[in-house]
Amino acid sequence: MADKEATVYIVDIGRSMGKKHHDRDKTDLDWALQYFWDKVTSAVMTGRKTLNLGVIGLRTDGTNVSDAGVNDPEGYENISVLQTLKQTLLSDVRDLQAKLVPSASDEGDAISAVVAAITMIANATKGKSGKPLQYKRKIVLITSGLGTMNPEDSDQLDAIVSKIKEDGIQLVLIGVDFDDADFGFKEEEKTHEKTEIEAYLKKLTDDCGGVFATLAEAVEGIDTPETKKTRPVKSYQGTLTLGNPEKYDSAMTINVERYPRTSIARPVTAKTWFIKRDPAAEDGTQSTHTVAEDAGDGLNEEVLGGVKTQRVFQIQKEGETGSKIDVPQEELESGYAYGRTAVHIAETDKVILELDTLPSLDIIGFIPEDKFERYLAMTKTNIIVAQKGNDMASLALSSFIHALYETASYAVARFAAKEKKNPLILLLAPLIQPDFEGLIDFELPFAEDVRDYKFPPLDRKVTVAGKSLTQHRDLPTPELMDAMSAYVDAMDLSTFGADDDGNPADYMPMDETYSPLVHRVHQIVRWRATHPTAQDLPGPPAILTKFSTPPEELAESSKPLLEALMRASDVKKVPPKQQGRKRTREREKPLSGLNIDELLSGQPKRARVDPSNPIPTFKQTLATTDNIDTFKIAVADLAKVVYSYITNSVGDSRYGQAIECIRVMREEMTELEEPALFNGFMQELKTKIFREELNGNRRDMWMKVRMNRVGLIDQKLSPFSEVTEEVAREFWKPPT
Amino acid sequence: MAEPTDEKRRHGEEEEDDDEEEADDSGYKTVKDAVLFAIDVSDSMLKRPPPSDDKKADRDSPTSAALKCAYQLMQQRIISHPKDMMGILLFGTQDTKFDEVNSGDQSYPHCYLISDLDVPEASDVKRLRSLVEDEEEAAKLLVPAKQDVTMANLLFCANQIFTTKAPNFSSRRLFLVTDNDNPAADKGAKDNAITRARDLYDLGVIIELFPISKPGVGFDRAKFYDDLVYSASPSDPDAPAPVSSATKVSSSGDGISLLQSLISSINSKAAPRRALFSLPLELGPDLRIGVKGYVIIKRQAAVKSCYVWMGGEDGEKKQLAVVNTTPMTDDSARAVEKVDLVKAYTFGGEAVTFPPEQMKLIRQCFGDPTIRIIGFKPISMLPIWANTKTPTFIYPSEADFIGSTRVFSALQQTLLKDKKMALVWYIARKNAGPVIAALVPGVERLGEGGEQVMPPGMWLIPLPFADDIRDYPDISLVKTTDDLTDLMRNVVQQLQLPKAIYDPSRYPNPGLQWFYRILQALALEEDMPEKLEDKTLPKYRQIDKRSGEFVVEWGQALENEHALRLQNRSNAAALKRESATDKLSGPLPKRIKTERGATPAGGEDEAISDEMMLVYHKKGTVTKLTMDKLKRYLSSKGLETKGKKADLVQRAEEYVAEKMDS
Repeated sequence: MADKEATVYIVDIGRSMGKKHHDRDKTDLDWALQYFWDKVTSAVMTGRKTLNLGVIGLRTDGTNVSDAGVNDPEGYENISVLQTLKQTLLSDVRDLQAKLVPSASDEGDAISAVVAAITMIANATKGKSGKPLQYKRKIVLITSGLGTMNPEDSDQLDAIVSKIKEDGIQLVLIGVDFDDADFGFKEEEKTHEKTEIEAYLKKLTDDCGGVFATLAEAVEGIDTPETKKTRPVKSYQGTLTLGNPEKYDSAMTINVERYPRTSIARPVTAKTWFIKRDPAAEDGTQSTHTVAEDAGDGLNEEVLGGVKTQRVFQIQKEGETGSKIDVPQEELESGYAYGRTAVHIAETDKVILELDTLPSLDIIGFIPEDKFERYLAMTKTNIIVAQKGNDMASLALSSFIHALYETASYAVARFAAKEKKNPLILLLAPLIQPDFEGLIDFELPFAEDVRDYKFPPLDRKVTVAGKSLTQHRDLPTPELMDAMSAYVDAMDLSTFGADDDGNPADYMPMDETYSPLVHRVHQIVRWRATHPTAQDLPGPPAILTKFSTPPEELAESSKPLLEALMRASDVKKVPPKQQGRKRTREREKPLSGLNIDELLSGQPKRARVDPSNPIPTFKQTLATTDNIDTFKIAVADLAKVVYSYITNSVGDSRYGQAIECIRVMREEMTELEEPALFNGFMQELKTKIFREELNGNRRDMWMKVRMNRVGLIDQKLSPFSEVTEEVAREFWKPPT
Repeated sequence: MAEPTDEKRRHGEEEEDDDEEEADDSGYKTVKDAVLFAIDVSDSMLKRPPPSDDKKADRDSPTSAALKCAYQLMQQRIISHPKDMMGILLFGTQDTKFDEVNSGDQSYPHCYLISDLDVPEASDVKRLRSLVEDEEEAAKLLVPAKQDVTMANLLFCANQIFTTKAPNFSSRRLFLVTDNDNPAADKGAKDNAITRARDLYDLGVIIELFPISKPGVGFDRAKFYDDLVYSASPSDPDAPAPVSSATKVSSSGDGISLLQSLISSINSKAAPRRALFSLPLELGPDLRIGVKGYVIIKRQAAVKSCYVWMGGEDGEKKQLAVVNTTPMTDDSARAVEKVDLVKAYTFGGEAVTFPPEQMKLIRQCFGDPTIRIIGFKPISMLPIWANTKTPTFIYPSEADFIGSTRVFSALQQTLLKDKKMALVWYIARKNAGPVIAALVPGVERLGEGGEQVMPPGMWLIPLPFADDIRDYPDISLVKTTDDLTDLMRNVVQQLQLPKAIYDPSRYPNPGLQWFYRILQALALEEDMPEKLEDKTLPKYRQIDKRSGEFVVEWGQALENEHALRLQNRSNAAALKRESATDKLSGPLPKRIKTERGATPAGGEDEAISDEMMLVYHKKGTVTKLTMDKLKRYLSSKGLETKGKKADLVQRAEEYVAEKMDS
């Protein structure tokens, strides 16, 4: 569990903060709040109850420090507690938004505000006995330094510094237009007062070992995402063995522990809710669309309700394909499917399915590093180190790691993390760093995990007769090989980057790449919380898309080589027409190359759809003609087949066949650019289903149509359609 | 309209990412495979090879070899593709058997359906087994008809079976096993067969021919089958181009039996090949080629447990129960309409929602799905720990860009030659998050018989982002000495795996094998298996023989070195203590406490030792230990830590008791 935290933000909201400076398009306060809200919403997002935030306003119109636990307000004029230390919720965010506006005052002493913050933290983080509890304490002071301040005598400053140190508080100073040589900012024509206050605050920060940044730098830093630190948790604690220590004295045993090395960070997930409707407003005209949007504007529990799932158990009715009956849960037991057969295995008997495995990490053998195919790495990786506090194990493991390293070998081991866990096979690779050594591991595939997919060779062409060709249109010419080689060399990234000193370095190292999705979702949810009514989503921050394209400079310098490569490649895009239009398409031929259409056209019965062989005959009918009337007849014929399937279906037994016919008709009409024919049929089908003209209630068939997504052909699918996407969506709703 | 989940569009098995909560639009057909075996029964197909003393010699007639193949494939598919269908049809038999549901008003003389196209049932497996193992049973059924079955009729029969039993399967295949290379009596019969084969093609059914060479006659595809078989299926453009469109003709001889040769032919077609995606590979701003991604390596897992209906009061046949879930309000248990459901993020105790269009934009702001090369690096810059999941294999496709294959080939060969990799920005699907991946070339690997074991192509290896990289745990490193390392090197060099490679095919998954062995025994009411031959167990005797000496030597050196260091350290510590006591005045600081904490046995963080547990056990005070201590102890032994306190106590006591006995 993460540490408890108490952070107080002191935000300067004096009158001058409401002004714009240095040609910026926003006021100092808005600029400062950009930083403030980023930090606060990030904290809110964690949902942690132990992450307490307090906010103190500096240069406020009134004075209120009693909430900070300061009894005598004298000396604290124009300082107000805006929020006491607590877990911050969305409602607090809204409250703070209303409070954080420029005041009418320019009075207020930043040092006094710091003292108030110290008091506030001390009061909120002590135990019942008055002793301070385990907390991470922090004060963040955001100010433009334009207020009034009576630089105190150094005695008092010393007292504050020692108090901050004693309480273990980290002080962070964020100054609007404060000079910062490291960052490279200096404000010209700074007033004498500001220079003085600035120097004073910096000294305070320095003296108590705090952090200072000018606001410009702090705001710039917002874009660099924070990665969540996870405390290492052991996934195995036991022995690494070579040989069987139970049977042989010659076996090696080292006590080890295993921790994750990589683990994919997931974006926060959305939960499903239902929208509570006001029964009075439910007149049927209200669309979902608006409700969802309304809900976005600061929704709460009056609008949304929790959803749970109800489970219904069904079995096949004996002797009636397609009919299902509900069964009570009491008649069910646990088991497994062997093919279609139910095998009952009581919960208590499940042990018979488990192997009798004991926890172990047992070496099978070694392989040379260069003979290992990297693509066999199946999983995230882990790190194996010696048992904590066991020096002998550490020494032993170190010799093992170095032996692997020096022989350029990997170990292959059988691994069971716990009793009764199925064994896995791991690859163990040495990792040696100046002050760290360990074994990297990941899972390797078993025999069952590798699929037997075969593909033709890429460097030669084998003819049907078994002859091997080296020249073929699928094989690169020497010119293409040369052009590729030159391009690959030119686009080298390994020295394209630069280190802190400007020396060539690796470009795009992994620790500078951030998971776009994780931080995007994070960004947007926080954005929505502070912009409840905004319409257009902001784009993703640049840092998330930085590596989505080659670096511009490199692409530019390699351009001639790319052009040469393009000439040698002679790649041609297949025009979309050839893909889609069927009227001109040549029909596929069997291996012999026989012209099937000729053969088929000699057979008269192929001119109509045969109900016993509907799909092939439908396709073949369409293939023989480009006459729209024939299309119409074919569609009507196939429609009849669909209706007959549905009408004669016992339960849902024939729905699958009906769906397949609909799917084929939809595909063919899209290709033939006749979406209207299909859409007409869909209208008719819907009508027939909801008027129960197909032998009773067939609404479940409509569900099936919807789930298979074989609805109206809309304009997105075919430019020839008159149906908009909106209409196609609306079409799913039952008729009213 | 509540949507039952079992009806939800089943995602293809390849779509493994559980982080993609929104469904995408690709491939609305169920990605499942249906295979119908059609096995020829004729005098020549039933003829056994002459008896021979050679153990390797053939003893099966072609028909019975085909049945054995089918039997093996059925068992295999129940494990590897539990939702896929399979059927077995004999043709040319004296008897006729056909399910009425399928046949309609048609009749299919001399077609005998052993098991209908469906997810196999235990009884199907048993039935096949009896045909394979019980010769009398087989002899009764395997009687050739007086007249030949017409090919057109057989193909239409298959058509009907696929149409009714597997209407929405995107992969439907007819496995045809025969030794007759010209089954048509005249031109009319041949034309009819060609027409019916075309029907199957238009239906989306692929005919896979497994020809068997008649001794002395051979098998000539050109006579008949080349007019029936197509090179690709229209309904499945995602299937990769076959290595060679025709399967090798199976025959006995050359030391391998007909059965083996047939099994190997069929195995190579056993898994339906599906592309995971079809994407542009961007080599530069204006240079794109087409590639397809395939899942070649994927962890095969045992089926999850499910609900079994026990047959109710009447004791009917047990059945698998289907679970339908309906969303309900959690307060009033009222069913919720789907249109009233909304996705929301929790933020500061409240739900934050977005209209559906915005919800899409959150994820889809990074551009279209693509594989875009950012640049190249030496492959040595890909550290071994930089892995997050199983890589995807990619291979060129000419469907969208003509010339893709040669460019891909040039890239693959260049990267191989220069030992480089490409770094790519990779978005697999519309809703998938972007990933940075290493594109690493893979060479073709051939097996002993010259058959392809690993295809040539490239592998997309997703790399970790900064967010995915965990810190190292804190350790106090004790470094090795050169002598110790040298001794351990001897050990490592003695124990190389065969051929110095890790060959997955040598290691069947013991857990999975055992699970299905038991499940099959229960389903087929067979005897329970005794023990499993676990190929993953190290060869302990060999390890002892080959490296035992070296390990012992190393072990002694290790102990000496350790003892030496302890000695040095205690000397140093003694010195330090002396000087420390000189300086200190007054009460000792807190350090004492922390120092004790660092020793392994009694610390707060460490588990109780076996010895201590034994003492507690003898005194009967194990129950007085805290849950935390019990859990730590059990976990340090690798035992289960779940359950009530009483369970934990019992588990701990059993463990020490056993330890004491041994």
